[in-house]
Amino acid sequence: MATTITKPETLVGKRIRRREDPRLITGTATYVDDIKMPGMHYATIVRSPHAAARIRSINTKKAAAHKGVIAVFTGKDTQKVGPVPCGASLPGLRVPHHHILAMDRVYFAGHPVAVVVATDRYVAADAADLIEVDWDVLPAVADPEKALAKGAPAVHPEWPDNVAFNYHQEGGNVEKAFSEADVVVKQRITSQRLIPTAMETRGVVADWRPADRQLNLYSSTQIPHLMRTLVAQMLGLEENRLRVVAPEVGGGFGSKLNVYAEEALMGFVAMKIQQPVKWIESRRENFLCTIHGRGHVDHYEVAAKRDGTILGIKLHIIQDLGAYHQLLTPAIPTLSVLMMPGLYKTQNVRADIVGVFTNCVPTDAYRGAGRPEATHGIERMVDVLAAELKMDPAEIRLKNFVTKEQFPFPTATGLTYDSGDYAAPLKKALDIVDYQNLRNEQAQARKQGKLMGIGMSTYGEICAFGPSPATPAGGWESATVKIDPTGKVTVMTGASPHGQGEETTFAQIAADELGVNIDDILVLHGDTAVVQYGIGTFGSRSTAVGGTAVYFALQDLKAKIKKFGAMLLGSDDVSFSGGQVICNKTGKSKSIQEIAAASYRAMKLPPNTEPGLISTHFWEPPNFTFPFGAHIVVTDVDRDTGAVAVRRYVAVDDCGNILNPLIVDGQIHGGVAQGLGQALWEQAVYDDNGQLVTGELMDYAVPKAHMMPRIESDHTTTPTSVNPLGVKGVGEAGTIGCSPAVVNSVVDALAPLGVKHLDMPMTPETIWKLIARSKS
Amino acid sequence: MIPQAFDYTAPKSLDEALGLLAKGAKPLAGGMSLIPMMKLRLAAPDHLVDLRRLKDLNYIREQGAAVHIGATATHYDVENSAVVRGKCPLLAETAAHIGDVQVRNMGTIGGSIAHNDPSADYPAALQALEAKVVLKGAKSERTVSVADFFVDTFTTALEPGEIIREVIVPVEDSGTGTSYQKVAQPASGFAIVGIAVRVRKSGGKIGMARIGVTGLANRSYRAAAAEKALEGKAGSATEIQNAASLVAERVDVNSDLHASADYRRHLAVVYAARALMAALARSA
Amino acid sequence: MKIAGSYTVPFPPERAYEMMQDPDVLARSIPGCESLEKIGENEYRMKMKMVLASLSGAFEGKVRLADQKPPSSFRMVVEGSGKIGFVKGDGLLTLTPKDGGTEVAYDGDAQVGGTMAAVGQRLIDATAKMMIKRFFENLRSVEVSSR
Repeated sequence: MATTITKPETLVGKRIRRREDPRLITGTATYVDDIKMPGMHYATIVRSPHAAARIRSINTKKAAAHKGVIAVFTGKDTQKVGPVPCGASLPGLRVPHHHILAMDRVYFAGHPVAVVVATDRYVAADAADLIEVDWDVLPAVADPEKALAKGAPAVHPEWPDNVAFNYHQEGGNVEKAFSEADVVVKQRITSQRLIPTAMETRGVVADWRPADRQLNLYSSTQIPHLMRTLVAQMLGLEENRLRVVAPEVGGGFGSKLNVYAEEALMGFVAMKIQQPVKWIESRRENFLCTIHGRGHVDHYEVAAKRDGTILGIKLHIIQDLGAYHQLLTPAIPTLSVLMMPGLYKTQNVRADIVGVFTNCVPTDAYRGAGRPEATHGIERMVDVLAAELKMDPAEIRLKNFVTKEQFPFPTATGLTYDSGDYAAPLKKALDIVDYQNLRNEQAQARKQGKLMGIGMSTYGEICAFGPSPATPAGGWESATVKIDPTGKVTVMTGASPHGQGEETTFAQIAADELGVNIDDILVLHGDTAVVQYGIGTFGSRSTAVGGTAVYFALQDLKAKIKKFGAMLLGSDDVSFSGGQVICNKTGKSKSIQEIAAASYRAMKLPPNTEPGLISTHFWEPPNFTFPFGAHIVVTDVDRDTGAVAVRRYVAVDDCGNILNPLIVDGQIHGGVAQGLGQALWEQAVYDDNGQLVTGELMDYAVPKAHMMPRIESDHTTTPTSVNPLGVKGVGEAGTIGCSPAVVNSVVDALAPLGVKHLDMPMTPETIWKLIARSKS
Repeated sequence: MIPQAFDYTAPKSLDEALGLLAKGAKPLAGGMSLIPMMKLRLAAPDHLVDLRRLKDLNYIREQGAAVHIGATATHYDVENSAVVRGKCPLLAETAAHIGDVQVRNMGTIGGSIAHNDPSADYPAALQALEAKVVLKGAKSERTVSVADFFVDTFTTALEPGEIIREVIVPVEDSGTGTSYQKVAQPASGFAIVGIAVRVRKSGGKIGMARIGVTGLANRSYRAAAAEKALEGKAGSATEIQNAASLVAERVDVNSDLHASADYRRHLAVVYAARALMAALARSA
Repeated sequence: MKIAGSYTVPFPPERAYEMMQDPDVLARSIPGCESLEKIGENEYRMKMKMVLASLSGAFEGKVRLADQKPPSSFRMVVEGSGKIGFVKGDGLLTLTPKDGGTEVAYDGDAQVGGTMAAVGQRLIDATAKMMIKRFFENLRSVEVSSR
């Protein structure tokens, strides 16, 4: 039988290479497009080239007659399916009925109007070109401020003001704070539309088994279980007849935290044609039809005393929603409101949001989802205030931070910050860059006419979504851990990792708790037929919530292992460590492998104990977690061209306990890349007619490897008490901390020219114009 | 991203290829521009003739006082060829700026210049190098200067049925300093402005200056006024600045999402000065 | 997108104006125009094939002339749509005598949509300029051949 293996060391906290990487690096992972089935058909979706138009008629005859085409469907065929769900609810929210295929009108360029199904994807694409739509083109509006103006075209004719909702929240006494202020600073700050650009575009394979009344849906998604519930409803199918599988998912960043028309549409097609069908989104469709992120125009006012004490904050958000609500669209800016005080003590805040319809693809969660906007806003405003008061940006932050004695700290927006020491990462980052010397160097550089900037941001974020009452679909997570008769361990998580590395971190947790070798552990996820119901991966929640569920499932299992061990050793005085149950008196032991075998063989059972070793735990978190950190960025601006070079990027992040520093660094690097993208390069541009003119990677500039600075990543560690692992979450931190630090740095560089603010992306041309203006 | 159906032929000889092209087939070299356009269905040729397998077009060799580069030499080949690096280093330097590694491994010099994208890198260098292009048809062969070859946006002197056989670049005189300086558009890597410079001094004065410009206008060009302003000068900072300021003179400058005409014009001046400085520093 | 510029043709405004009102001349001058068929007063249905390097696309659309003030100005509206997208140009053409010829100044707006707009941003300006240049060059050679 099994030999006794004593594990030499604990794994949590070690830089362990990701166990998922070999299949990714060797190209052997299975993404949706790698799935092939006998009899599989291919779908091409015909989309509107216009941002707003009435459909006079659709002629599908030529396409339907094309050799190899087996079906063509339009909105008339699918009108009973759906609607595409909006999971967010706000008082008075206007929710347009979102058909999976357009009925008589389209609302954004890319709106799906028909689907062609053929034996081959080339045939499907050819036939799609044969579909004739008679358009009555209507005026469109693509800019949220223009959409609010009188006389703007109505995106949805039933709501001519284009307003989807108004939201108001306040805490403390803002008017009093502002009336007592020595100084009030105001600034309009935008957070432009961004395209999430996951490396793998979306894709769906639907496989209908009529004899079993079973639909198998393979989709590149972050939320297989929620998708199952929602798509079953859309199709009118019993939920237990739908299996959703998220195979390898090549990035999501929130864009796959959604239920899209295409998922239900492919289910519908498969059920109609009684054959498997595949749809793979092209990059162009991905840009046009998968949600975008951000899309804020914010008006900030901050009241302060002359000594820099912040008294109150007012915020007015104009949120570009796009033409429809996708799963969480209207909820995203409310997260910005929750985080608007940042790390600062002020108890007086007021926020208003106006959610605006535009003839654009909907916005929704994109890495950070509402928190980058809030952090960008408050961290810019603190710098604006510091400049107004001629204070050092580090000093003004240190003055206003919630202090470490004040935790748990109730915020003006109704949150309770769990734990923190906000000065620690800032001080560490200042030390790393050698702040005082850097300022001296800057003073010298300025004398020589050089434009050198030092910028910082101190961010807080709301992670580990979250307590169920505060989330649209339940905020718990689930885990099952089972040990096979041979002692091998399988962890099944309701989270749905798609690049975050939980196949490694969850195995580390299980290996340490059970005292087994990490190679004996398999982590499964993303298949509703395999894994118990779960919520999914988003909002930096998987480890803090899903990992905790794994932890508790392991505690239950350990208790049972001990019971079996005690029975086999004939002693009540036993302990469990290093994969062994040990009799404290005799020193005799039974290994997990021996115990597992005995538990399944079940010759004898401990009292009130079932055979087998399996445990499931659903964990409901009592609170969110609130990671924080400080990023400092040193930039040089080319006076002749306006080009920005990032000389140094220092990120000191506090995400609580760190399970795997290698993975945490990777998350920071990726997050910073996307933050830099927003600060310097990325921008989804629609023209006045609602045409997405950055429609491909030729014109939409995601950062490439050679555009990235070296990131000096460091940490402070302030564990949370919200979960027993003490972890907070780190998936979005890099992005949230990044953009204000970069903008603050460039504004600092240009400060001698009288520049007080820059909107993103800070293109060289924008900066060059400011430089040129300062000369004249 | 699914192209329309097309026929494909990989001919065994140049004559066979030219025969097919004479019947209206479209030549395919590295496919770095054509294939994406086909996938987007912006281009739908009926018949592609793949030139990349023709050995007769894939060479780089020194012959007389010139380097002859076959049309299907890849950007990687040009970038790394000892002959090009030694005899006309400006072209190797420029090749290294094209696209990314994958593009340089696939894309060819013939394909690139036949496409004549107004923001492509090669044309700037070829203008500065006063290179020639050999065009071959089924029954004829002719040699044209690059100044005549690059006609307009996406338009060259190629007649239907003709292909580029080779590019001829004069061997650089020793002592010539060269540089290619480029502002890359961050999304595509194409040049917002690209300036290729060759300068040679004699007796402490600039005896020869050649400035090729890409990205700025409807086609690449040589900045003749700027070149003339430099000749006979010592190359002081002011002289360089004065010459650089002429680089976009009387040019109808393009404008797009990534750079307005004014900004492009300004960048051309700044980068012309930088390229001239770098080239002068490298000249003997 | 704004489009403005000018081109000089070597014949007087009266002649230039008259030519640009003539559908046969327009058909021969608009780059890629395959046919122009009258559908109303000063309004024509047009078929064109745009060929530019590897790009090729068939368009169907309309040409409309308006606000005619011979021989000094008129408006030309060109609309076309095809598989690769759609274009709409609306511009005022102003003719002034210059050195025995005519300077034709154009000033207008162009809209581009569909795939062309999404992937061709970088090239729309250069391409539009080239098409306009070709139009005037064609006009010039039609004039020469009609002498």
